[in-house]
Amino acid sequence: MRTRDVFGYSFSAIRLRKLRAGLTTLGVVIGIAAIVALLSITTGLQNTITAQLETGLATDTLIIAPGGGVFGGGQGGGGFGGGALGGSDSGFRLLINDTQTINGLSTDILTSIAVIQRSGYINSTEHERVTTIIGVDFVEYKNTYSTTFVSESGEIPDNPANNTVVIGKRVNERQNGTVLFTAGEDVQILWTNATARPPQNESYTAHVAAVLQEVGGFAFGGPSDSNIYIPISTAQEFFNTSECETIIVKLANSDQATIDAVSNKIVDEFAGEVSVISSTAVLNLLGSVFSIIELFLVGIAAISLLVAGIGIMNIMIVSLIERTREIGILKALGMKSRTVLGIFLGESVIIGVIGAVIGIALGWVLANIVATFLGSGAISIGPGGGAGAGDMLSITPVLTPLVFLGAFGFGVGVSVIFALYPAWRASKLKPVEALRYE
Amino acid sequence: MALVVEAVDLKKTYMLGKIPVEALRGVNLKVECGDFLAILGPSGSGKSTLLNLIGALDKPTSGTLLIDGVDVSKLNDNQLSDIRSRVGFVFQFFNLIPRFTARANVELSLSIAGASKVERKGRAEELLVTVGLKDRINHKPTELSGGQQQRVAIARALANNPKFLLMDEPTGNIDSKTAREIMNLVKKLNEGEGVTIIMVTHDQHLAREAKRTVQMFDGLITADIVKGERT
Repeated sequence: MRTRDVFGYSFSAIRLRKLRAGLTTLGVVIGIAAIVALLSITTGLQNTITAQLETGLATDTLIIAPGGGVFGGGQGGGGFGGGALGGSDSGFRLLINDTQTINGLSTDILTSIAVIQRSGYINSTEHERVTTIIGVDFVEYKNTYSTTFVSESGEIPDNPANNTVVIGKRVNERQNGTVLFTAGEDVQILWTNATARPPQNESYTAHVAAVLQEVGGFAFGGPSDSNIYIPISTAQEFFNTSECETIIVKLANSDQATIDAVSNKIVDEFAGEVSVISSTAVLNLLGSVFSIIELFLVGIAAISLLVAGIGIMNIMIVSLIERTREIGILKALGMKSRTVLGIFLGESVIIGVIGAVIGIALGWVLANIVATFLGSGAISIGPGGGAGAGDMLSITPVLTPLVFLGAFGFGVGVSVIFALYPAWRASKLKPVEALRYE
Repeated sequence: MALVVEAVDLKKTYMLGKIPVEALRGVNLKVECGDFLAILGPSGSGKSTLLNLIGALDKPTSGTLLIDGVDVSKLNDNQLSDIRSRVGFVFQFFNLIPRFTARANVELSLSIAGASKVERKGRAEELLVTVGLKDRINHKPTELSGGQQQRVAIARALANNPKFLLMDEPTGNIDSKTAREIMNLVKKLNEGEGVTIIMVTHDQHLAREAKRTVQMFDGLITADIVKGERT
């Protein structure tokens, strides 16, 4: 029997029981759609986050944060996850003047910048916003992040007055475009000193020198749209501290060897009490985290496909029993066992192909709906770390050829595998017995 | 004349639950090309078992069965399928595929043998005209009478120019008037087209139409009479 005729016969059998075939196919559709939707959203999310990180990252910088050995030292991400890096359990704190020690460690270190970071508020007469207050040396910060620490309006002063403040784009502007503060305006900067008993609100009047251009990325050490910046000396005085949360190290180059060597020196210098994070390490870490998430999600989706497979097997066995006599007729007419096998497998291939194609399309549509939903701000994924101006992520779902082919192959594969046993049983039916079957 | 079937000491035992049943206990039979043979006998005499063996639907337990010169007891599953496609089988209950039209049912037999779509269409129509169903070509079995369904089954059995036609109680499920028409068709096929026919029946009247009658009882052939030699 010709292959085309085998498929034609399979198709005629499927058409006879449209509802049943439709429901069986639906199982495959759901499984495949789940896989495709989850994978394309995760891939899209990963791309978005990676892209945002890369815009906010300078590859020739290292971030030092207290808390050693959380992820195994040197290259590990000590306190990554949220805008605030840090949070050591051991009580170890970085000091602002540790920068001097660090500068002397290697000739590959061009400079190091202490960063003081607190959650607080910025208020004008009309508006109030939650924000992260960052104290840094404006000149060095500007040199290190020359592409992102750039003013949109006003000017970032090289010799800032004590009451100077520079505002991130998102702090200054709501999603709908309302501008809250303007350069040249006076604002109140406020934070709650929780170490005082009782906790005490402290504030001072600051002068907005500049509003930053949109950075568009996560602030991984570098400038963020949801932060405000004040001179380090002011921060020291206002927060009454000589400690800093992180130290940013600018390297002479971004070679992996340099990064490793300098990282090790710094960790040794602080006796393992600090973590040194490089942007490449963060990206790698992110990549591996996403791999695990993807694997997990695909695993869950695969279960639904497995259920669909069992459904196919179930239906095929019922169909086999119902069609025992028909199989007997086919065999009496001279059909070979392998052709009977082919007819049953053909049915499952048709179900698998239709299910996979619809599933991929449906999954893609679902992914786009979810992405639009996320993008519209119904769910916001902010950089965290106490920053109130939550950054929205616009996710563009990505359907890679690998996912496309994989989902297709998986859908058809599962259908065929679960049809193997019923098909084999059908092919093994003895014609005399099958013909006698009522 | 060339032998199309030759059975020597043919035995078939099958299990009915745990009890072995000797359906054939040593059958010897020769069928020549162009013959019209009626196998008569009561229920359980082994006539259907014999027909199934000749149709390669089943394998003998022992003995030799040559179909068109080939010993079926030595064939594997695949080779038996080949034999079956060269044999035309007509069943008591027609055994048409309900979802197919008359033509599609005839075409199925041709498509199993590997014929192309064009070949199939022409041949199926030609056969349906031969069996007198010119106006019923695109009807499904449910839209046809018992006699018409059996004509479709005969057309299907003839599709691949079989060596012989095996008929298992072909008129057992249709009224006597239609049965006579079917028998006339069968006779015409035998006499006009030279088709060899082996027919199982328990109807003495139908058997009389055959050139030769074989009487079976309890798994053995008890009489083998050629028309005209009868006393």
